Amino acid sequence: MKKLRFFLAMAAGKLSMFLMKLLGRNATYLPGKIAIKLCPDFLGQLTPPKTVIAITGTNGKTTTSNLLAAILRENGYRVTNNSLGSNIQAGVATTLLADATFTGKPTRDIAVLEVDERSSLRIYPQLKPDYLVCNNLMRDSIRRNAHTSFIRYIMDQAIPADTKLILNADDLIAAGLAPQNSHRVYFGLDVEKPEKLVIPAVRDLVYCPNCGGELVPEYIRYNHIGRFRCKDCGLASPAPDYLVTQLDREAQTFTLRHHNQEDRFQLLNDNIVNIYNFCGICALLFEMGLSSEQVAKGFAGIAIIKSRYDHVEAGDLKVTIQSAKGQNPIACSQAFRYVAQCPGSNKAVFMLIAEHIGETDTNSESVSWLYDADYFYLADPSIRQVIICGPRCLDQKLRAMLAGVPEENIVLWPDLQGKADLVDTENCKDIYILCDVYLEKEAEAVKNGLLEKAREGVAQ
Amino acid sequence: MIVEVLFNEVCGLSGDSQNAEFLQAAMPEAEFVYTTLLEDPRFVHEDVDMLLMGSMEEGIQRRVLEKLRSHKARLLELIDRGVPFLATGNAGEIFLKDIHYITEGIQVSGLGFFDLQVKTDLFNRYNAKVLGTLDGIEIVGYRSQFSFWYGDNSQNYFLKCDRGEGIHKGSKLEGVRRNNLICTQILGPILPLNPLFCEYFLRLAGVDAPAPFRDAAMEAYALRLKEFKDPKMLFNV
Repeated sequence: MKKLRFFLAMAAGKLSMFLMKLLGRNATYLPGKIAIKLCPDFLGQLTPPKTVIAITGTNGKTTTSNLLAAILRENGYRVTNNSLGSNIQAGVATTLLADATFTGKPTRDIAVLEVDERSSLRIYPQLKPDYLVCNNLMRDSIRRNAHTSFIRYIMDQAIPADTKLILNADDLIAAGLAPQNSHRVYFGLDVEKPEKLVIPAVRDLVYCPNCGGELVPEYIRYNHIGRFRCKDCGLASPAPDYLVTQLDREAQTFTLRHHNQEDRFQLLNDNIVNIYNFCGICALLFEMGLSSEQVAKGFAGIAIIKSRYDHVEAGDLKVTIQSAKGQNPIACSQAFRYVAQCPGSNKAVFMLIAEHIGETDTNSESVSWLYDADYFYLADPSIRQVIICGPRCLDQKLRAMLAGVPEENIVLWPDLQGKADLVDTENCKDIYILCDVYLEKEAEAVKNGLLEKAREGVAQ
Repeated sequence: MIVEVLFNEVCGLSGDSQNAEFLQAAMPEAEFVYTTLLEDPRFVHEDVDMLLMGSMEEGIQRRVLEKLRSHKARLLELIDRGVPFLATGNAGEIFLKDIHYITEGIQVSGLGFFDLQVKTDLFNRYNAKVLGTLDGIEIVGYRSQFSFWYGDNSQNYFLKCDRGEGIHKGSKLEGVRRNNLICTQILGPILPLNPLFCEYFLRLAGVDAPAPFRDAAMEAYALRLKEFKDPKMLFNV
């Protein structure tokens, strides 16, 4: 029986959403905040859609949840998801109330919800996910997330016992989530295993989470992502139920082995981080009961949103936008590594990261995380220019120099409105714009400026 | 010159390990020894000239404490001899009297080099900045922590805070110091962010060398100092 205050909260939430839209504002957080203020158990009072899916983990939540929602829509499901909104309690409430009737009944079949790890305790006890996908757990903003043990502690307490977990087998922290929960499957990759064992400088799991013993790696891809076995207690990375066994970059496909069969799906992007995301999506879809044909149809009909990855060419310039989340050293390291490993010898990196919008006027943001990011990738000889934008560009310059980037390769611009003219397009033809999720418009402006320059060059 | 970096594989939650890299750039001839939790520290069997230890998870902190407890006397000997030791974030808590982990309901005794107590509460995150002074050097830093320290550090503090708070809310005295053992709650890359303090710390070890990439470091430091002195700047966020 719903409480009176729930209906009041629903009405207030919907009214505020209407008014905000009237004013041309994005109603992604405030309506839910108002509803929760009026009815603290608002999420619990709502009738959830038939299937609720939570996508969580440090990196890849947005890409995964957006792709998943698109694939489900491609297959005819009516989906609600917080692709444009906040992933904390109020954002989730806003998404669900937007797609619910005034009495709190859902108008969609499935909710695909990106959920911030720290918000687990505020969300899952009220809104039980049927499925929870966790791509990885690694260091994130030191201010918000502290460290992975703290995040695991919160999530272990919050995840309901009968939620089906879809976990990354190559991440021993994520794979061990909610050990009380027996409904779990794992996904992983068996492709492009590093030939040499390189111990990363920054790892979030060094010793066995079970006994504290020494973890012996079979291989490590990055941070603590890889395959391990404990020397002392024998704990090992779990065997994946869903395994990517082949990548065909020419045909742009990947092969997934599961349930004694192999399927090929379209490869939307060849960054290893995204291949983990795709594998997790496949695992979830099969667990939901979709057929191979449905999954293939879904992958064939979608693309990664351009703010996360975009690639265009004009004249002799190739411009790539790759998201790189500020305050998140592992996400940035992966973006740096991606650039260094891409083919080509005349690259420029245009950095629009490291700033938390809204804090810069009255706050000087902690830059500790810069020192956990692998700036040494930017010292790769194929990278001829590193353009660093924003108020913290001096800090980034020092960090880059300490990592071996030659000072003469560094260009500073203290404004976040970067300029295409900063790029030496005479000598740099592959330009990678690494941008924070809040700086999509700025990245787009730089991209358009570069394309304009390229077209002018062709015209001349 | 031997610099021992203790348990770097688990003691570097937010860039702390780059303090060692920065020092290495200043002292390319020095030997940097990275001791893991599974090994005996180098300082146990031979003299070292400098020690570093960074911030860590609470579970690891208890493990590090037990590891160092068995070498307490040797550590005290080195500290009293004046070997520089920089402990950032919550690493310094190991040297205090005891640590009360409120969330887990555990209390453990520390090495007791300082008569201060630690209270750690996982559901109270504290993020802040500090602008303080040490022997005329202005030091800037960031803090992100679950713990506060309690007790009297008026005779052995590290920084006098011009802005921001000290060992607990209301305190203006940050960190503790015994000889050249410096325990600060400032987290992460304190040396790259403070080239003058880096040079000061090097001098404690008898090294008269400029901070590496000094011009770039000083330019970034000067800007941060200017921002931290801006009256509009928020310190506890």
